[in-house]
Amino acid sequence: MAFSNWFEHTFKRRPWRTQRQAIALVTLSFFVAIIIGALYLAQAANVSTTGRQLEDLILQRNQLEQSNEQIRAEIARLQSVPRLRDRARELGFIDASVSTIEYLPVLGYNPQREERPAVLIQQPAADVPVYDETFLGWLQQQWDAFTNQQPDTSGE
Amino acid sequence: MQQQQLQEEMFKRRLPVVIFGLLIVSIFLLGRMVSFQFQYQWAPEVINYLEGLRNSGYSQTLRLAAARGTIYDRGMQALAVNTLEYRVGISPNLVANPRQVATQLAALLNLDELDTFEKLSSDEPYVLLASRVSAEIGHQVAELKKEIPGINIEPIARRSYPQGTLAAQVVGFVGGDLEGYYGVEGFYQEQLAGRARDELISNIPFDVPQDREEDHGGNIVLTIDRDMQFLAESELQTAITESGSRSGTIIIMNPGNGDILAMASYPSFDPNTYFEVDDASLLINPAISQQYEPGSIMKVLTIASALEKGTVSPQDTYVDQGSIEIGGRMIENWDRQAHGVVDMTQILVQSLNVGAATVSLRMGPSDFYSMFRAFGMARPTGIDLQGEASGTMYIPGDENWSESNLGTNSFGQGIAVTPLQMLTAISAIANDGLMMQPHVVRQIIDGDLVQTSQPSALGRPISAETADIVTNMMVAVVRDGLDGNASVPGYTIAGKTGTAEIPSPVGYEPGASIVSFVGFLPADDPQVSVLIKLDRPSGYWGSEVAAPVFRRLAERLVILLKIPPDDVRAALAAQGGSVSEIDR
Repeated sequence: MAFSNWFEHTFKRRPWRTQRQAIALVTLSFFVAIIIGALYLAQAANVSTTGRQLEDLILQRNQLEQSNEQIRAEIARLQSVPRLRDRARELGFIDASVSTIEYLPVLGYNPQREERPAVLIQQPAADVPVYDETFLGWLQQQWDAFTNQQPDTSGE
Repeated sequence: MQQQQLQEEMFKRRLPVVIFGLLIVSIFLLGRMVSFQFQYQWAPEVINYLEGLRNSGYSQTLRLAAARGTIYDRGMQALAVNTLEYRVGISPNLVANPRQVATQLAALLNLDELDTFEKLSSDEPYVLLASRVSAEIGHQVAELKKEIPGINIEPIARRSYPQGTLAAQVVGFVGGDLEGYYGVEGFYQEQLAGRARDELISNIPFDVPQDREEDHGGNIVLTIDRDMQFLAESELQTAITESGSRSGTIIIMNPGNGDILAMASYPSFDPNTYFEVDDASLLINPAISQQYEPGSIMKVLTIASALEKGTVSPQDTYVDQGSIEIGGRMIENWDRQAHGVVDMTQILVQSLNVGAATVSLRMGPSDFYSMFRAFGMARPTGIDLQGEASGTMYIPGDENWSESNLGTNSFGQGIAVTPLQMLTAISAIANDGLMMQPHVVRQIIDGDLVQTSQPSALGRPISAETADIVTNMMVAVVRDGLDGNASVPGYTIAGKTGTAEIPSPVGYEPGASIVSFVGFLPADDPQVSVLIKLDRPSGYWGSEVAAPVFRRLAERLVILLKIPPDDVRAALAAQGGSVSEIDR
């Protein structure tokens, strides 16, 4: 109570403090606005830069696709029949004729034979060990092991 | 003073009226402006226009053309692909040293240096230096652009045909307007081209750009076998050169499913340079669009029709007197000789016009023409290529039909067919009487969607029994009638030759003929049917000109198709196998 009275009293005695408060508030608002603006600008610039990078990547991808198309066309041209034929002749190959081909029937081979897929033999399923250990049981085991420990006297 | 007071009073009286008027106009304009915000009252085109007007400030609409699909042969070898070319121009006023730049560009673009220098010294804001340069040169110019300002290089999408002239008339070409013309490019324009897409592009730098990936048209896999096509084209070219023919066609088809394996015609064109072709008729595929009188190969259909209708049996005979008069027209054999008593097989083996005419007379026009209709005469096959002709056949009731047509049509004169129609009809005999729809597209691949063409039948003009009988007759033709001109050692072949006169406005041209051979192999298990046609050879007869071409082609085909000789196939069959199972 005494404090509030003192506060009111102080302000009544010092009217310039109200003006200073208003100025401080305006200044603070101005700086806040600047900070928000700067943040927005930084963010927008960041987005814009990323956008440009993305556009570059898209352009690069399109160029690579076009390049791939060109290479595909070139491969197809290099694999054209007249070129392959000329190349084969340069390498000494000659056209096969009916008289130079010998067909070798594989006697006994029947391509339409009945297919008999291998039958899987059913193996009896192995017994799966049953897991019935409990935490208390495990504690009991540890305790038993501890209590059954014998003092090592071999070194004596 | 009084005057002034009067004026002031008048002003005071009028002012509210003016204010009221202005207020009314302002309210009307305001109301009108507000009304623009409510779009329901506008027609869609007005809304689009207004939205366009609104968006034009901060965005633009870009039309993205789809990349055209690739065309492959059945072995997935590319027949048509997309490439880029470049258009090169320059802005002379930005060039500091025209002499040096002219030297560099002229060397790169293969231009005249003086002309280039004159262009670079002009006052024009832009001059075109080269309208089409390859991608390789284009990249070099792009490098040069980094050093020389003012160079303008513009990419142009182009269709490239890496196999050159191979299957040009089947594939067709893409024009400068990026539309497909003729062949598969024309017929499947919609599927290959895909759909252009409009996309809104923002002009605001803060907006993240959208991924403007182009759409792709569907890829098309043909039934054409590139190796077989090359074989057909090279054999055709050899045949035309050797026989002195003007032009010709070879078609190879799988009679069992209608797959066109090769379709070659000569002369042809290079689709890469279609714009240099002087004669536009070269762009059209004669195998499907050129009608001709087929001559004696039609006798096969006449005999098959008569057997099917029960008019004759294979053993039936007639007495050949060398000529017969039908409808006031005298019909003679090719050798103008009488051949005595002959049976149906000998009509084909000796290619007797009188015999074929006698059979058609016995059938009568009704049965004869209904059977020819069933074989697809005067009806397009419906092949998936642009520009198919339907052929011409006059029937009773037509103004141009006379009784003599019944006789002449039986041996392939006075009737016009396309090479494909003829082969389709003969293939029905090879396929147990079932006539299959010919087609050149095997698959359309659109992203993950693969549409595979299913074989479809055009009809069954004859029974399997009749087909078997006629096949044996055609085997006899090749074995006994052609002096071995069409025979391949070790293989049984069924076939028939044809020699047709060429009609002109004043009758038939003397000494000129169209020779042909149609056949299939192996006769007992046909894997391919073949038609060979040569126009105006220096030799006159099909048996002398066309049959040897078939033999050479068949010798290569059995190797390409891995068809073993008859004895090997018999051994294979004895073990339960078949050549149909050979992977090709």
